[in-house]
Amino acid sequence: MQRKPVAERGFPGPLSLVLPLAVAAFATLASAQQQPPTDIVFRGATVMTASHGTIEHGAVWIHAGKIAGVGASVSAPGTAAVVDATGMWLTPGIIDPHSHSALDSDINEATSPVTPSMHMIDAFDNRSADLYRALAGGVTTELLLHGSANMIGGQAVVIKNKFGLDRDAMIFPNAPGSIKFAAGENPKRVYGSRDQLPSTRMGNFEVMRMAFEDARHYMAEWDAYDAKVKKGDKDAVAPKRDLKLEALADVLRGKLYVQIHCYRADEFLTEEAIAKEYGYKIRAFHHALEMYKVAPQIAADGTAIATFSDWWGFKDEARDAIPWNAVMSMRKGVRVALKSDSDDHIRRLNAEAGKMIHYGGATEDEAIRMITLNPAWIIGVDDRTGSIDVGKDADLVLWNHDPLSTYARAMKVYIDGDLFFDASLPGWGTTHFTGVMHDEGGFGSDDDEEDGQ
Amino acid sequence: MKQLALATAVGILATGVALAADNSAASNTIAITGGKLLTVSHGTIENGVLVIADGKIAAVGTANSVKIPKGAQVVDAKGMTVYPGLIDPESNFGLTEISADLATNDLEERSDEIMPHMHVADAFHAETELIPVARLNGITNAVVAPASADSIAGQDIFIQLYGSRAQMMMGTDVALAMNFGAEQRRRSGGGGAGARSTYPSTRMGLITELRQTFLDTQDYMAKRDAAAKKPDAPFKRDLKYEALIPYLKGERPVVIGVYQAYDVETIMKVAQEFHLKVILNHVTHSQEILDEVAAYKVPVIIGSIYDAPRADERYDAVYTLPAELARRGVKIAISSQEAGGPVSSHSARNLPYAAGFAAAYGLPYDDALKAITLNVAEMFGFGDRLGSLDVGKMANVVVANGDPLDVRTDVKQVYIQGVAVPMVSRQTQLRDEYSK
Repeated sequence: MQRKPVAERGFPGPLSLVLPLAVAAFATLASAQQQPPTDIVFRGATVMTASHGTIEHGAVWIHAGKIAGVGASVSAPGTAAVVDATGMWLTPGIIDPHSHSALDSDINEATSPVTPSMHMIDAFDNRSADLYRALAGGVTTELLLHGSANMIGGQAVVIKNKFGLDRDAMIFPNAPGSIKFAAGENPKRVYGSRDQLPSTRMGNFEVMRMAFEDARHYMAEWDAYDAKVKKGDKDAVAPKRDLKLEALADVLRGKLYVQIHCYRADEFLTEEAIAKEYGYKIRAFHHALEMYKVAPQIAADGTAIATFSDWWGFKDEARDAIPWNAVMSMRKGVRVALKSDSDDHIRRLNAEAGKMIHYGGATEDEAIRMITLNPAWIIGVDDRTGSIDVGKDADLVLWNHDPLSTYARAMKVYIDGDLFFDASLPGWGTTHFTGVMHDEGGFGSDDDEEDGQ
Repeated sequence: MKQLALATAVGILATGVALAADNSAASNTIAITGGKLLTVSHGTIENGVLVIADGKIAAVGTANSVKIPKGAQVVDAKGMTVYPGLIDPESNFGLTEISADLATNDLEERSDEIMPHMHVADAFHAETELIPVARLNGITNAVVAPASADSIAGQDIFIQLYGSRAQMMMGTDVALAMNFGAEQRRRSGGGGAGARSTYPSTRMGLITELRQTFLDTQDYMAKRDAAAKKPDAPFKRDLKYEALIPYLKGERPVVIGVYQAYDVETIMKVAQEFHLKVILNHVTHSQEILDEVAAYKVPVIIGSIYDAPRADERYDAVYTLPAELARRGVKIAISSQEAGGPVSSHSARNLPYAAGFAAAYGLPYDDALKAITLNVAEMFGFGDRLGSLDVGKMANVVVANGDPLDVRTDVKQVYIQGVAVPMVSRQTQLRDEYSK
């Protein structure tokens, strides 16, 4: 962990004009926070647990980075640091299951429709201002995905938004691997505009099948080799290791969660059919704007969705998008998460969840789950984060207002029990960051505005 | 008004359960009773009564003070909030349908910088699906402007979001859409080898071209006035200069889209030189000159409030902009623009939430509501007809089950010129079809 005295922290621009007194006060406060207290207790908050309802005037106890108690009262030691959260709201950290933040312009390796051996970790810029702004919106975990130019894109990286720590310290430890697939207009446009396969939805899906045939053959060659070795054949020659086929084999082996960018109802059904044909599971459809049309079928397959709250009409395959999609799909048994796919919306996913009360009548619990526990499940970290339950990582956001309203501001953001953002601090409000943030520019939906352009 | 009157019956039927309408009296008089009235102009009235007659607001007040006219159709709005229809100060309704499908877009004429003779009124597609979608969230009026590719992009219209095309276009050529900054430089291809590089390719070029255009217009006006005195000599009209005349005379507002502080200062010098009646738009990255902006004494549209701060700025540097401007006495409006600049009005229904977001970051609530109602109406010359619950104004009224600026609130009924608009869009139709 890189921690420096506040004097060495840069607040360039107008922020460096903060009164010297305030800076001095900040220095005292910051030095007091060199190590997070082992025990922290929040008292008096409206605790929205995401898993077991809301506790008015509740208490939450953090011990050594984990949640040690939650309820009307907790039995924390007297030495615990107390946060008076009277009149405030406490939620699990927000989880974005579809982000392209902090990847500069390295979102799509749009040189082939099948690029499963790309790893987003290789492009992850841990000093990106996008991460900071998301943190200030209460986002503690993100799934950073490859773009949607390719039918089979690259492998995602799961981060904890510990902005200011070094790169490795921001990786979510032991999170399952995910791989991004895509269907529909984007691969069609990217490759069709070059007169390459695929330029149609026929081409899209056949490209996938051909890739999985290659992978099956590759696996069979290795199986044959392994069998020979097992029999004691000393002349057996190992097949060449191929990173692309190895990654595809991992899909067929069920080692990677499959996350599919997909808009149209017919495409969900085709994707599920291909998954069954080749024996893998689809973890989630992303965007999934027409899920309301076929929700019961997809619910039966156990596939979740990560969807926009109310975006529509930006392209033809988003024409039938309706803001009731999330709640209608949920009522039909689909696990539903909201996601940003945007360096803008990632900063206010809480209000996006609030819209679900308006569009379809989600309960507060259901709405909160769409940005916490459900995206945690999509990423495969729901046993570690996504709700306020004993034993889980202490990823928490303290809000000044009901987080499902328009008016909420994240006041403090904790990750693994450590304070990473505090809106009351002067300057950026960061507690660990030093140096210079990187600003990649661009601000729309990375996936849909920039793919293959 | 025949078309609107016919639609009334449909609208009432579609109103739904929350508002039990008394249909017994088929009249043009409606009394909305028991609701909390946010008048915008004169405070909040609990348990209020709002009477609509012949498309206009006929009475506003407490239950005790307002007599419900005989035969009025009574709408019970107990537990509801009643407020004036929201007005979006920058939209592109009717200029786009599917963003990625270029054939459905009429957003900007990119062939030249100086295009004042482009009239949004000529392209406005009244049947667009975007309008009912926005209307369902209480947007009743909007300025429709071209996108921002050109220094002078064309002339805006002011619409209401219901009625025949003619009824919808309440005002044509109501404002001139101008832009200044990096985006307008004709530098396609990034200036590298083979790139198209056409004048003006720098800020110097943009400003010089604007000044020359305004001077040429003044010259044209002088020649035209002189020609008027000699009716025998033929005078060839120039539509480009003709279009600019009302703006150089200061008769109508010029909306200048500009982001950076130094660009604001530059363009305002030109505007002052030619006595333009300015409305500033965006000013997203002008935090260091807000006192100066206030000293211009011009109204400011803020949008998008969700635009990214600069890399060295605090996360809320743009969120706090409406509050900072209002604090300095600037008349502000808030637009529905999405982050990243003018893209489309598919998300215009989120206009009230942008205002609510400004309130979350320090803008007083009443100012936030005003920034999407009365202030917009006043900026564009409709303050006497729209923007508040006042007697004599058009009855553009929204009934919702809570705070209009909160994402959780559901709009129950929208009235436009006193007509209960059917609460139906292509999206509700899809919802209902797949809910069977």
